[in-house]
Amino acid sequence: MDLQYSDADRDFRARAREWLKTNVPQHSRPAEGFAAAQFDRDWQRKLYDHGWAGVAWPKEYGGLGLSGLRQVIWYEELARARAPHHINTTYVAMMHAGPTVIARGTDAQKSFHLHRILSGEVLWCQGFSEPNAGSDLAALKTRGVIDGDHIVVTGAKMWTTDAQYADFQELLIRTDPGSERHKGLTWIICDMKTPGIDIKPVRTMLQDEHVSMVFYDDVRIPIANVVGEIGQGWSTALATLSFERGLGFIGDQLELYERVNRAIELAEKTRLEDGRRAIEDDGVAQRLAAIKADCIAIRSMTLGDITETDRTGVPGPKGSMMKLMVTATHKALSEVVSDILGWSFLEFDGDRSAHPWTYDYLWSWVFSISGGTNEIQREITADRVLGLPRAR
Amino acid sequence: MYLAPDGDEVEIADAAGTFLADAMPIDRLHSPGSADTTATVRRLFGDMGWFALAVPECEGGSGLSAVEHALFFREVGRQCGPVDVLAQCLAANAAIDGGLRGEIIAGRRGVALLVADGEAHRLIGSADSDLGLSVELGCARLFSLAAVPAAPRPSLDPANSLRIVETLPAPLESIDSERTWQLGQLGAAAMLVGIAEAALDLIVDYAKIRETFGRKIGSWQAVRHPCADMAVRLEAARSQLWYAAAAVKERRVDAAVHLDVAKHMANVAALANTDANIQLHGGIGVTDEHNAHLLMKHALLLSRLFGAKRMLLGRLLDARVED
Repeated sequence: MDLQYSDADRDFRARAREWLKTNVPQHSRPAEGFAAAQFDRDWQRKLYDHGWAGVAWPKEYGGLGLSGLRQVIWYEELARARAPHHINTTYVAMMHAGPTVIARGTDAQKSFHLHRILSGEVLWCQGFSEPNAGSDLAALKTRGVIDGDHIVVTGAKMWTTDAQYADFQELLIRTDPGSERHKGLTWIICDMKTPGIDIKPVRTMLQDEHVSMVFYDDVRIPIANVVGEIGQGWSTALATLSFERGLGFIGDQLELYERVNRAIELAEKTRLEDGRRAIEDDGVAQRLAAIKADCIAIRSMTLGDITETDRTGVPGPKGSMMKLMVTATHKALSEVVSDILGWSFLEFDGDRSAHPWTYDYLWSWVFSISGGTNEIQREITADRVLGLPRAR
Repeated sequence: MYLAPDGDEVEIADAAGTFLADAMPIDRLHSPGSADTTATVRRLFGDMGWFALAVPECEGGSGLSAVEHALFFREVGRQCGPVDVLAQCLAANAAIDGGLRGEIIAGRRGVALLVADGEAHRLIGSADSDLGLSVELGCARLFSLAAVPAAPRPSLDPANSLRIVETLPAPLESIDSERTWQLGQLGAAAMLVGIAEAALDLIVDYAKIRETFGRKIGSWQAVRHPCADMAVRLEAARSQLWYAAAAVKERRVDAAVHLDVAKHMANVAALANTDANIQLHGGIGVTDEHNAHLLMKHALLLSRLFGAKRMLLGRLLDARVED
């Protein structure tokens, strides 16, 4: 048991901090729309041009090939520098699609897609969930019929984040019509400009349109775009999800610590209705301190899990437990800030930069539902960590 | 960097677990008069060297670190070991006089813990203890209890006797150092983590065999989900305990912050997990014959030692952690 960073780790941190100090964009990210997507591409391009893109990607595909611990250091420095949030329109490409193509893609897929993703040239979206499936991916119905050297896709996808900005989609379809549950699925790369695709944005309670329904009407996709094998899509999808649950949320976990310190600063300067500063209220102060303790413990959990994974080479089932801890803490922080800000918390027009705390409060539900709901994460914990009996 | 027990650390934890399950099993607390550590048991601990794990070899100890100290007290917590085991260990680390230290390490003299309560002190530990240890943030004091009147008080926690001491004599020894407090905080946090683990183990084992409405209760989401939440709280508290133990061992400048967080997370996990354990057991959970209430009552006592909620949260607001 030790907390020692190597000299190389410390050197890496110093270089990252130095570079970020002068390169973090001075102007804030546009609230939404194509301008926000362009901002994300530009930031990814800048990381790429300066050799900081793809910290977890293998070196042979243009990444930095860093250990889990070095990735934690990178995300800590990003949070400290208040760099653009890493969960943005490049997230699916960087955290899912790229790693999945690296793990299961053909040489042609790798040479076409990987550098485009890494340089921010293309954005991706994820076509997994469906109107009647939710977190239960084995209930997928969108159909793919093989016709010569193409697969013809018909059906609908739901909750597709950033579909309107994406160039490509990781699409999971049922290619064996009589198949059930996890069998007969295929993971395929869908070019979003293919005829027959219709995108209908879904307005959320955040007053934005970050998710869409996507409809497919005889969409012809080359079989050469299949990642993994036809009918083996579940295995490819599990590889995709393990990237998300393993390391995809590190940035959020570490950023929470910075955010609670910002909330404490806010409580020091904000007056309550009775004229006292919010920090002078015992209830507010205790809640903020307890959330800060949770954030420090979340960092210890993250370091414990990452260094274990670095040693064994296999991500354990703790990702679900960390996501539960992080989403609960995120929500608690939003709630105490709501009390600190009083009436002004209710002023909101959907602009994330103008009303960050209110936006974060609304986002806390997105966070505890997307990527597997809290209930799904509890089921995974009950099965894989505690070994409780199953009903199904 | 590696944040879990490893190599020799695992062996020491296993040895401690085996020893404590045999010498001081939690089931002892179902017998009357079981609160006090007997002279025989104290000598047994002394013979095995458990009181001096973290005492330097040149002072008659094992020369191990805060990490092994934490691993040992996690096992003590799992068996609801009494607080005077912690007081005895801390006195062994704090005592300056070599002769006195040797007697404490060997378990020939008993040490109880003194905690300030208004003008008086609470004395927690076996009635035959002839030494009392009081620990504050920057200092520790060791008192002779030989001529000190101590009025017995009823104790909710069956694992410890409680007494009240109105006045104390001049201390035998007074040590100005943060180390005793740090080892005390770490030990108490570790005991609470052990309790939180024991509570989760009890309900998970039960959920695998007990059936209601024709199914194992562990297959109902009304049981599975609270169990998952228990596991999450425990994982957070245990990860922080390891971080704090390593921070003390390596004398990191932010060790005190990580100890405060570790004690807070351990308080929360132990209180919440012992609560959920009773609830999910149903009726059997509130019986005297079950161990569930022993864990809850012990957690209530330990959560007040070496940093209760108000003190810890008051300190944490302005705290800073290092890389």
